[in-house]
Amino acid sequence: MAKSILVVEDEPNIVLSLQFLMKKAGFDVRVARDGDEALAAVESQAPDLILLDVMIPKRDGYDVCQTIRANPAWENIYIIMLTAKGREVDREKGIALGANDYVTKPFSTRDLTDKVKQILENAVH
Amino acid sequence: MAMTPRLFLIACFAALGCAALVAVGAGTWLIDNRLPKEIGTEVRDIVLVYGGGIAFLLVAVIAVLWAYLDYAIAQPLSAIVKGIQTVVLARSDYRIEIEEMHQLDGLPAAVNELIRQLGITRTGINEAIEKATASLEQQKTQLETVLLDLHEGVIVCTLDHRILLYNNRAVQLLRIAGDIGLDRSLFHFFSRQPILHALSRLTTRLAQGRYDSPLAARQSPLVGATTDGKHTLQGRMSLILEGGKTATGYVLSFEDDTAELAALGLRDRLLRESTEGLRAPVGNLRAAAEILVGDPGLGSAEEESFKKVLLQESQFLCDRLEKLSAQYRDVITGHWPMSEIYSYNLLQNLADRLREQRGIEATIIGLPQWLHGDSYTLIELLDRLIARLSDRFETTSFDLETVPGERWVYLDVLWNGNVLPAADLDLWLAEPQEDVIGRLTLREIVERHKTDVWSLPDRPGRARLRLPLPPPVQAISGDPMTAVPPRPEFYDFDLLRRPLELGELGIRPLKSLTYVVFDTETTGLDPTGGDEIVSIAGVRIVNGRILTGESFERMVNPRRQIPNESIRFHGITDEMVKDKPPIHVVLPQFSTFVGEAVLVAHNAAFDMKFIQLHEAESGVNFAMPVLDTMLLSCFLHDYTPKHSLDVVAKRFGIPVHGRHTALGDALVTAGCFLKMLDVLEAHGVVTLEEALAVSDKIIQVKTREANF
Repeated sequence: MAKSILVVEDEPNIVLSLQFLMKKAGFDVRVARDGDEALAAVESQAPDLILLDVMIPKRDGYDVCQTIRANPAWENIYIIMLTAKGREVDREKGIALGANDYVTKPFSTRDLTDKVKQILENAVH
Repeated sequence: MAMTPRLFLIACFAALGCAALVAVGAGTWLIDNRLPKEIGTEVRDIVLVYGGGIAFLLVAVIAVLWAYLDYAIAQPLSAIVKGIQTVVLARSDYRIEIEEMHQLDGLPAAVNELIRQLGITRTGINEAIEKATASLEQQKTQLETVLLDLHEGVIVCTLDHRILLYNNRAVQLLRIAGDIGLDRSLFHFFSRQPILHALSRLTTRLAQGRYDSPLAARQSPLVGATTDGKHTLQGRMSLILEGGKTATGYVLSFEDDTAELAALGLRDRLLRESTEGLRAPVGNLRAAAEILVGDPGLGSAEEESFKKVLLQESQFLCDRLEKLSAQYRDVITGHWPMSEIYSYNLLQNLADRLREQRGIEATIIGLPQWLHGDSYTLIELLDRLIARLSDRFETTSFDLETVPGERWVYLDVLWNGNVLPAADLDLWLAEPQEDVIGRLTLREIVERHKTDVWSLPDRPGRARLRLPLPPPVQAISGDPMTAVPPRPEFYDFDLLRRPLELGELGIRPLKSLTYVVFDTETTGLDPTGGDEIVSIAGVRIVNGRILTGESFERMVNPRRQIPNESIRFHGITDEMVKDKPPIHVVLPQFSTFVGEAVLVAHNAAFDMKFIQLHEAESGVNFAMPVLDTMLLSCFLHDYTPKHSLDVVAKRFGIPVHGRHTALGDALVTAGCFLKMLDVLEAHGVVTLEEALAVSDKIIQVKTREANF
């Protein structure tokens, strides 16, 4: 069964690229456009990996991340934060609130795709 | 009745002349009258001639005598009187000139000498007055010029905030119509809190003797506002010291924000660069994209080159953006006044405020660190966040912990309860705070410190709020003695081997016990040879928390001279301890502080020996168990012979401040000890009994090595 990815992003242009790249890499892709949608999507079916933008409407990415980590059932979801906040302290906050990785915009699409492939292919389940 | 000496003399001698004439005349007349009738005119003529002769002679002698006395005494006296009058009324350089033949002996010379002396004195006084006046004038002019020329507003106040002096700029900056008015309270014009805060920081530094070491410590930056809160002012406060020791007032200088203007300039430039500077690459990108999409007839070579343009220009834009945002980050916060803060002072201030104004008990724990920030706004931030946490989690008990990190110093607030959701924290941070300077939101305070704040779980049932702050810009070396060699290890361990009845204490987990971690500084290394304690300090550990606020620190009069080589080591001089109590007064105080706690020290045998020698005279007995971090280190790291406190601290990543003060060393030891408890547990050493047992084993090894 294909690994599933949830893209949490409110900017359609980058959603377009991410969706294209991840599908091409052979993953199952769903898209959520704000924090509430993201949590609903996780609840309906937990993905293997989340590409999570920090600056999204309603709950922000930090809060989504923290909420997911508060539930032990979702412990194994790999969370990559995508953000325009590039300071060292922002990265530290993301990691502290439960993100596994933190990528600053603008990023190289190739690097991101490689990273996601590597993570999901090495995953145990 | 005033009469000059000359007139008086004339009168006297005239009277004398008259008396002589009357006497001679009357005598002649009587003789002439009584002569018998028969005596002829011949005899009578002789009598008359005789009388006339005598009268003439007497008058002549009297006249000559008068003339001489007038010349030799009366005239010189008048001259002296006139001279003195002249000197008194007008000239100091006047000299009385008298003919040589006077009969006044040394008087004129003596008077002249007096006049000369008077002249010297007068000249001296005049010169002094002139000098003083001139320098006062000069100082006043200088001060006026300096104050006038200053771009800053300057106000000088007494400690009770009465205004003593100010300049025009101050009037302008405070937007006062008319005069400030001397002796009025500063708080009519300037916001109260920042002033009180800066003053308390400076006086604390003064009291702790940290005031004059680095020059920067003499000033406290502050951000205040006009009383109506409309204008934010930033500046500095310095104390005015009398005799270098007592503060009598303070100087407040506040600036027009030239720094902010410079930052604005830079911001303008960045804005220009990020709009105009990006036009060209974006234009290239657009042109290439339009051609690619709109021209189906492109040859494959042309298509490739346009795609290349897309790639190149977008990569260029990415790089450009990185650079601009890095520069912009510095602009946002560059002008905000920051200073090096000792976290303990900051948290102490915060804890006092929480207790007094909100009834919240905050306990300061962890090892204090230096950090870089603005203490006024940090306290405002933490105070408000803790108040919200207190409402939210229905608790009035918090821990305030300083946690050293690689990149940051973390100020953490801990409570019993859940983690605070990021969304709620964001809402709290976004609320404008009416009574904070400049109506900042808490988020803006966080941004100004180039940081963020978040909540994370602690051990079960407990959570913390974490505020990372930058470490000090310049390394703080509050301790000039850091270069001295470590104290030699001391292996007289008999004291640690006292038989102990541990009872229930022995089987309790190490982490649940109360400890007092302590250290001493001494006159030397030989307690039995007469060396004595010069300072002793301890800090309490309860439930795995170093209670920084509950510490014990005393200097002790060793009642002997402190040798130079040990002064070099701990910086405590004879002068510093001469008014301090002797050890037999301090030990009972220390005993009270320790209470039932387990003692911990690095190389404890050394400190215990000094203490034990004074137990009897002090009427105390430290019979509680003692753990030695040096022995525990030997147990945990048996691969190395290096177990000095510096090395052990480094091994456990404990930052070292204020080494070689008793309290500094005790704090570092406490930090190491807490880290050791975790590792000991992993080695299966969980209870006090077990910890003492492994220590004992190390002692046996050491003793054997020593005997060998």
